[in-house]
Parts: sequence; structure tokens; C-alpha cells
Amino acid sequence: MTKNHRLNSISAGTEAIFHVIIGLFSIGCIIPFIFVIIISFSAESSIREIGYSFLPKAWSAATYTYAVQRLPQIWRSYFNSVLITVVGTVLSTLMCALYSYALFRPDFKFRGFFNFLSFFTMIFGGGLVPTYVICTQILGLRENYAALIVPLLVSPFNIIIMRTFFKSSVPLELVEAATIDGSGEYSTFFRVVLPIAKPGLATIALLNSLAYWNDWYLSLLYIRQNKILQPLQALLMELQNNVEYLNRMSASLGSSAIQEAMRAPTQTLRMVLVVLIVVPIACAYPFFQRYIVAGLTIGSVKG
Amino acid sequence: MDNKLERLSADRAPNWFQRNKKTLALLTMVAPGAIWLLLLRYLPIGGIVLAFKNYKIFPRNPTFWSNLAHSKWVGLKNFEFIFKTDQALVAIRNTLLYNIVFIILGCIIPVAFAIMMNEFTKKFVAKAYQTMMFFPYFLSWVVVSYFLNAFIDAQYGMIPAAQAAAGKEVVSWYTTTRPWPAIIIFANLWKNVGYSTVLYLAAITGIDANQYEAAAIDGATKWQQIRYVTLPHLRTMISILLILNVGKIFAADFGLFYNVPMQNGALFSVTQVIDTYIYRVFITTGNISQSSAAGLLQNVIGFVCIMLANAVVKRIDPESSLF
Amino acid sequence: MKKIIALALALIMVFALVGTQAYADKSDAVTLKIWFHGSNVAPDSSKKVLDELNVYLQDKIGAKLEVIWGTWGDFDQAVVTALAGGDDVDMVFTCNWSADEYNRYARDGYWVKLDDMLPEYAPDLLALIPEGIWECAKTNGYDGMGIYAIPALKDTATQNCWDVNGTLLAALGYDVDEVCAKGLDYYSDEFEEMLQKAKDYMAAQGENDFYPLCVEPMVLERLVNVSSIVTGDLGGGNVLSYYYDKDHPANDIGSVIVNKFGTPEFEAYAKRTYELAQKGFISPSIQNVGTSNDYRTACQNSGAYLISTQSYAYGCEIDFSNARGIDVRMVPASAPYMDATSGQGAMMAISAVSKNPEKALEFLNLLNTDPYVMTTLNYGLEGFTFEKNEDGTISFIEEGRSTYSPWRNGMGNVRILPPTADEGLTYWDDFAAYYNSAEALPYGAFIFDSSVVETEGAAIANIFAEYAFNLCSGATDPEAVLPEFLQKLEAAGMSDFVAAANDQLAAFLG
Repeated sequence: MTKNHRLNSISAGTEAIFHVIIGLFSIGCIIPFIFVIIISFSAESSIREIGYSFLPKAWSAATYTYAVQRLPQIWRSYFNSVLITVVGTVLSTLMCALYSYALFRPDFKFRGFFNFLSFFTMIFGGGLVPTYVICTQILGLRENYAALIVPLLVSPFNIIIMRTFFKSSVPLELVEAATIDGSGEYSTFFRVVLPIAKPGLATIALLNSLAYWNDWYLSLLYIRQNKILQPLQALLMELQNNVEYLNRMSASLGSSAIQEAMRAPTQTLRMVLVVLIVVPIACAYPFFQRYIVAGLTIGSVKG
Repeated sequence: MDNKLERLSADRAPNWFQRNKKTLALLTMVAPGAIWLLLLRYLPIGGIVLAFKNYKIFPRNPTFWSNLAHSKWVGLKNFEFIFKTDQALVAIRNTLLYNIVFIILGCIIPVAFAIMMNEFTKKFVAKAYQTMMFFPYFLSWVVVSYFLNAFIDAQYGMIPAAQAAAGKEVVSWYTTTRPWPAIIIFANLWKNVGYSTVLYLAAITGIDANQYEAAAIDGATKWQQIRYVTLPHLRTMISILLILNVGKIFAADFGLFYNVPMQNGALFSVTQVIDTYIYRVFITTGNISQSSAAGLLQNVIGFVCIMLANAVVKRIDPESSLF
Repeated sequence: MKKIIALALALIMVFALVGTQAYADKSDAVTLKIWFHGSNVAPDSSKKVLDELNVYLQDKIGAKLEVIWGTWGDFDQAVVTALAGGDDVDMVFTCNWSADEYNRYARDGYWVKLDDMLPEYAPDLLALIPEGIWECAKTNGYDGMGIYAIPALKDTATQNCWDVNGTLLAALGYDVDEVCAKGLDYYSDEFEEMLQKAKDYMAAQGENDFYPLCVEPMVLERLVNVSSIVTGDLGGGNVLSYYYDKDHPANDIGSVIVNKFGTPEFEAYAKRTYELAQKGFISPSIQNVGTSNDYRTACQNSGAYLISTQSYAYGCEIDFSNARGIDVRMVPASAPYMDATSGQGAMMAISAVSKNPEKALEFLNLLNTDPYVMTTLNYGLEGFTFEKNEDGTISFIEEGRSTYSPWRNGMGNVRILPPTADEGLTYWDDFAAYYNSAEALPYGAFIFDSSVVETEGAAIANIFAEYAFNLCSGATDPEAVLPEFLQKLEAAGMSDFVAAANDQLAAFLG
């Protein structure tokens, strides 16, 4: 046992070096976020006097108050975001897994065709306006939740990645064996293949959920009148863009616009909005991670 | 139930459905995705002709497709501006050079990180690292630009302040080009390494533990295990991501090049890329035909590169190719 | 798993159905859809106001109004896609600084030409708007020269002013009234001395990071050189200048349109600005494109400046003084003038897609001439967003107003609104008097159609982005950079660009 263990792991010295490298990089990744939190609680006057700093002269939560006041809809938008993210992630991950599983099967007759069908759209598209026209005028994707979910359902990139996960983790013999045992295609897929591909599936789900959670552009395009459906990110982006726009234009717009610009705490607002959007999704991250890193324990600690 | 059916059908000649049962089942699996692709990606694809037209409204029937049909063909005129000036050539050069660096480092570092993290004996530490690495993904480039600004701002930045305190000459970061290639490359890696590392980690965790055990029993050291078990296993993922990145060689991350240098003109010689160049033209002319021409050109070049890269990979290892 | 798929698919269907149902129109009255810019209106408040307004509108013109409350943040991106895609909108906000730029979109056929319709469907409006402003709205559109949108009767003139911190100036020992009455000369020694005194004064207070000259660089250049924006110049910035007489803008001083950066005036300006920046009067944060606007606004709002720039809006010094808690003075750098740029500051166009252009024009006629419609749409409902005072002014009810505040100037004729208590009873009369006093520039309502030199424009835009800001903000030494800049502009076809503008100007003036 002990011998085996030693054989199967790197020396303590090497591991220490690894820790230093990865550790430094990870800290480098987290510091900007800490910075964002600090700035979000800084007083505007402090930023004007000493700039963006880790040690502001004065603290203040005024910008949070401002944001919540300016956005009476914020809680509704949180709800919208959660709904869109959950429904969207489930649907898109499922569609991705099904599609790429068929592509992974070497005995699928139309494999090449469907592979190319998806790959081609990764490179070529009709562009923004034609897509917008199809979505709004033919598919009825406007002013409803579907408009915020459907356009992100399929990602050719994710299909390729998922197919690679299948390739590298699911032995074909297993599928064949299941078929010989009389299991139907769907039952093989759900009972045999998916459990093995869990880390891959969790990764794709993570990517999808981030895409849904971070998206604001769909709302900008498709939600104009029924703004009660706006997801959080769209609401926040709009507020930030409003403020920046007014700052940029304040020399040439009339006085009513100038008054509005003067009320906005520009410099901290940007950071407050980041905190409001990132914290919830960061809390959901460990859920996905459980599956992604779960394999680690099986993979290497075994001795 | 199934067995009974099979016995029944074995008596007679199997009909078409039974013969193609597997294919039909697999077809139903691709169906949702394929329908989506047809509706949302292939229906609008006719819009590509926008790149060869001078888009105008056709007042008698002002719907998009009739406008498009009635707009004048202008041939390749919409593409001219991309090659017209020295600025454009600088942008193309920068895009290609940065992308080559990104492709190489963006492959080596995440693979190395994933392998290292796989070796940590304390798994919760690996988890903590992994979580932290994902944070850059949440921060927009605009926010990152202000973070960087906190260090190098001429008025408040920590680095100029330290330089001044040490009696050294203070560098004006936003007008000096020298440090910027390094800053851009570092920022790009910072943002993307975590993401790729997660992909590689997930691929590693898919490795059957028995393979390591078998290798260990055969007397393979850890390094040999990495070389002969882990890396071959990652080969497919590495080459797929490489091919996909090569396809983006003519496009740049707009947010990085536009926001991180804070749009300062003095840095253009090292920060102007194709996407920022096109954007600046677009806000000037507002010509959607020109911007779709530029997008189309980027796509065509990307397509050619992907096909070439794929062909090369296919020759070396058919299993790892894209298609 | 299968259950989840079924459930999810069912959910999608429901969403899609609910969505289409909610927006299917059921009544017979014509529904007009209008798209505003710069609004801050909550969905509930919008419904409340429109429900009441629509009763009136149905009675008056037999139409109902549906509003898309575009915001500062989303208008530009959304409107471009929607218009190119042929969305069914009847009326759209346009002007010469938004993404749906009035002249360009008129040229490309997006707007309905109104000249023939105006006498029949909008006679009141036709009479109301002064001839000079109609002139500004005339552009060379898809169906020839004519009016393609209704200009808003709002702040229709431009005046560049120095924004002076009177409180600080007084603390430096100056007689504020005297200094302001005399005006400021950018090139004078007194100007520099004033800045130096302010810097020393603040340093004595322990504030070493004080930069007295807190400006918007591109505005400063126009202000100092007394040049106007040429309507139709590059969308991303101005490369053309047209110099006018400082005191009497209508005087013909023999100007033509010139390359902004190629004049001795510009060289002198760039040198002076660089010199002032070197002496520590301009903050490096102002010189950094990414932080410039934020920093300037923050300094202005907290009164941490001595001299700034402002494109004057009537009465803004009072708003500023109140908001900043200092004595803000506006010192004119030149007299107010009128040109196409100010005349086209806010307009309402009728989209080519509209099925009821006549009805839409009838509505615009009403909006601009009926105080009830304008007040309701702009200020909301009595008892909800505002209250009437006895003297005829109004006061806002903060609770309602905070959920219903469209951009006032973006709608149309603001001069028929009731004045607020803060503004005072005579506000709109004074407002009109000020703007009506503005003289028209010698080149009148000239509009440059730069689409004929689009390729040159595209090349120039990137060179402009590379050099112009740094030169205007004093970040780079013009001795070293200006010749290189001019040479690159030349190579990109700047001469052709300027020549095209002057050819058109000559044709315009006949």
C-alpha cells in the first residue's frame, strides 16, 4: 500500500513547486475581484482624491443604495435570471449531449453530415440583422421568455467539446455491450453513457449556465416593451450604459439630461454592478464543480 | 418485450423501420439540435449577400428581405476599406502575431496546470484553486481595465508612485508602447487559462483509474504515467481546441484590445487589431454592409485555416481531427 | 430525464404562446408605435400614463399610442438592428448624434418624406416651428431634398461657455463678476496666472493633486478656436472645422470648411494646451481616453476644478450651482449660434415601415401643439407624478416621477410644458427668447453628405482615433506629432474629404 502510494504520487518537493505556481496564479485571478468589492464599497470622493485604490480613504455603501433605488425591478430581474438560467441550462445541456452523443457514435450513418451541419455555423452565420429578422418575424421570439432562452440553446463549440468528452471517457465496447443486452438507444444513453460522462456534462452545463446568466444582448434586442422580463445582467448593463452615455454626452445634451448625469456615482457603480451579478452565480459554481472534480478522487488518489 | 418483438420480426423479413431502428433513434437525438440550427443559423444565412450590397430601404415594401433584394450589388467594394490603409495592415499584423502567441501559450499552460492540479494530494486545495481560476471569466474587460489602471494610472497608479518615490523616471504607461505587448498577452492568459484548465481537467478525470494502476504495477514512475497515460488521453482535446483556435486567427477579442489600453491612440501601433479597426470604421460610417463584409472575410479566412489545420491533424492522427 | 425534456419543451411552448398572445392587438383603433430615447420609465408607470392618454387620443385623432421607452444605454444598439430589420415602428427618435443618424437614414430610405403631408396633416405644427428650424431639417434624402423628420422645438442653438468655479475664484481674491464679465482668453498670461494661483492655493490646503483646468478636450478645441461642428462630419469624431465670428456668428468672415488639424489656429491651440499640461494644470486622467469622462464629471460634481468647458443649455448654471454646492458661472466664449447641428438635436421621424404615416403625422402635430398631450407624455399624470400649484407652475411628486421620467427634450416642443416651481413662471418665455436670439451661421443649415467619400472617411477615422484626442488634451507634443498626423491624414485622402465638403457647400450656397 505505502509503496504503491509513493509510486503513484509525485515527490513532496515537486508538489510544493506546483503549489507555488498554481497558487500564485490563482491568487492573481482572485485579487481583481477583491479589488472590485473594495471599490464598490469606496466613497466616490475617495476615488476622485486618490484614484482606484485597495485602501480607500472613506467607505460607503451609497452606490448600492443608489442601484437598488434606481432599479425597482431588481428582484424581479433576479427571478428572471434564475428562471432563464435554469430552464436554459437544462435544455441546452440536454440538446448538446444528445447531439454530440450521436456524433460520437461511429456507427451513425449521417454522422459526417450532422457534424458538418453544426461545425459550419460556428464559422459562418447570416449576421446580426438577418438573425434578428428571423427570430422576431418568423419565430415570434420577442417580448417573451423564449426570446431569452431559445437563441442560446445550441453552441457548436460545446457540441464539439462534448463529443470529445464522450470520445475520451466512454469506451465503445460499453455501448455495444448494452445494445447486445437489448437496451434501447435512449436507455443506453441515459443509463450507461451519461453517468460515465458526468464530468464532461457538468462542464458543459457550467458553460451554458454562465452564458445564460451573463447574457444581456438578447434582452437588448428582443425585450423592449415588456421590460418586466429583463434579466438582471440586462438591467445592470442598461443602468451602466445610461450613466456612461450621459457622462460622455453631458456637454451637448440639455439640462434635464445633465441633472440625471450628476446624480450617478459613475466610478463605483460599475463595480457594484459586477458584485450584484457575480455573487449569485459564483455561489452556484461549487455545485458544478462537485461533478467536475469528483473524478479527480477516483483518478489519482487511489493507491 | 424487445426479445419478443425481435422473435416475431425474425419470422418475417424485417421491415424498413426495424432495419433502421438504430439510425432512427440516433436521428431523433440530433433532431432538436438540427432543427434549431436550421431555423436560427441556416435560415438567416442568406444575409451573407449583405456584404456584396449597398443596403438601402425599399420604401414600397420595406421588409428586410425585400430591402436586401432591391439593394444594389456593389461587388467587392465593401471589402476595400479593410486593405486600404497602413492602419489596416498594422491591425492585421498585430492580430496575427498576438493570436500565434495566444494559441501556443494558451495550449501549453492550461495543459500543464491541469496535469499539476491532478497531482495534488489534497483535493480540496485543487478545488479551491480551480474556483479561483474561474473568477476572471466573470469580470468584463472594462472592469479589468480599471483594475490595471489602479496600478499604472499616471495620477494615482501604484507603480508610477513607487517609481517616483524611488527617484526613478516615471513611465507614462498609456502613451508608451513598450510594455503593452506583454500586458496584453498576460491579460489574455489570465482571463482564459482558467476556462481551458477546466476543460482539460474534466477530460483528465474521465481517465479510467485502472489505467494508472496498471501502469504503476508495471513500474511506471509518475512522470512516465503522465507521459504515457495522461497526455495521450488529452491528445484529442488538445488538438480539437488547437484547431478551433487556429480558426480564430484572423479575429481578435474586441474587449481586450479596445478596453484594456483604454482606447489610447498612442498605443495603436501595438494594440490596434482587426476588430477594433472595423469597429472604428463602423461607428464612423454606420454602414452595415461594410461591417458584414469584414465579418465575412474573417470567417472565410478562419474557415480555410480550420480546414488546413484539420487536414494536418487528420494525417497525423485521424481520431483527433474535427471531422 | 425524459420527464424533464417534456416539461422543458412544454414550458417553452407556453412562453411562446403567452408572448404572442399578449402582443396581439385586438381593438380596431389604429395603434401607433413610437420609440423614444433617453427614458427612465418603469413598465407599470408607463401603462398607467398611457391608459389615460389613450382615452384622450382615441377621442381626438382615433388612434392609440404604444411606446418603446428607449434608454440612453440601449437606444443606439437596438434601434439600428430594428430599423434595418424592418420592425413595425411608426415613429422613431432621430437626430444627428444618435446611431440612427437623421441625414444618413434619410438618404438610405428609412424615413418618410413629409413635405407634401405637412400642410394637410400637421398644419398647426407647420405654422408653429420657425422657418429657420425647418431649414435645418431639410436634407438630401431618398426622395430628394426635403423634410424627413419633425425637429423638436427645444434648445435649438449652440453656445460654448467656460464653466467657472466662482467660489474658488473668489477664494483666490478675484472679483468674480468682473472676471466673468471680461471673459477668458486661453492664450493670455492672466489665464495661466489664474490656474497657477488655484494650484498653489489648493496645495497650501494640502491638496497636491489638484488640476484646475478640467475640460473635455474636443469641446475645448472648438471653444478656443471658435469653430463649429460641420453637420455630416465623421460619426466617431470631428475632423472638419468651420470658423465663425465670435461675437456675431452671422457675419460672413469668408470661411470655408477646413481640415481641423491643418490650420495655424489648431497648431497654436495644441501648443498652448501641451504647455499648460506640462505645467500641471491638466490632469493625466483627463488625458486618458478611458478615464477622461468619468474623472471630469467627478471633479465637476464635487467642485474640484477652477475652469471647465460646457456647451450651454439655458439655465444650466442654476442646476449646476445647486447640484455642486458652489457658485457656478457660465462665461460665454462666443455668442449663441444656430446651424443644422443644433437644429437637428432631437427629431421625430416617421418610419418607412409605418402603415399609417398620416395618422402618425397627425399625432406628432398634436404632441407638439396640445399642452395636455405633451405634458402627459413628458411629465405624467397629475396626482401621480406632479401637482399643479396655484400660480400655474407644477411641482413633481418624487415617488411617481422617479418611475416616470422620459428625456424631456427628446419629445418635441417643450415650450408648451408648464414650468416647474423651481424654474419659475416666466421660464419658457425666457427660454424661447434666448434661443430665438441666436444668429444663424453664414453657411446656414448646410449638411455635408460624406457618403460620397466613405472610403476616405473610413481610413481617416482610425487615424483620427490614433492622434486627435492626445493632441487636443495636451498629452503629446505637437512639435513632434502634428506633422506626422497631418501627413497620415493626407495619405488617407483628407484633401479629397475636405474638397468634397467644400464642393457641396458651394453648391448649397448656389
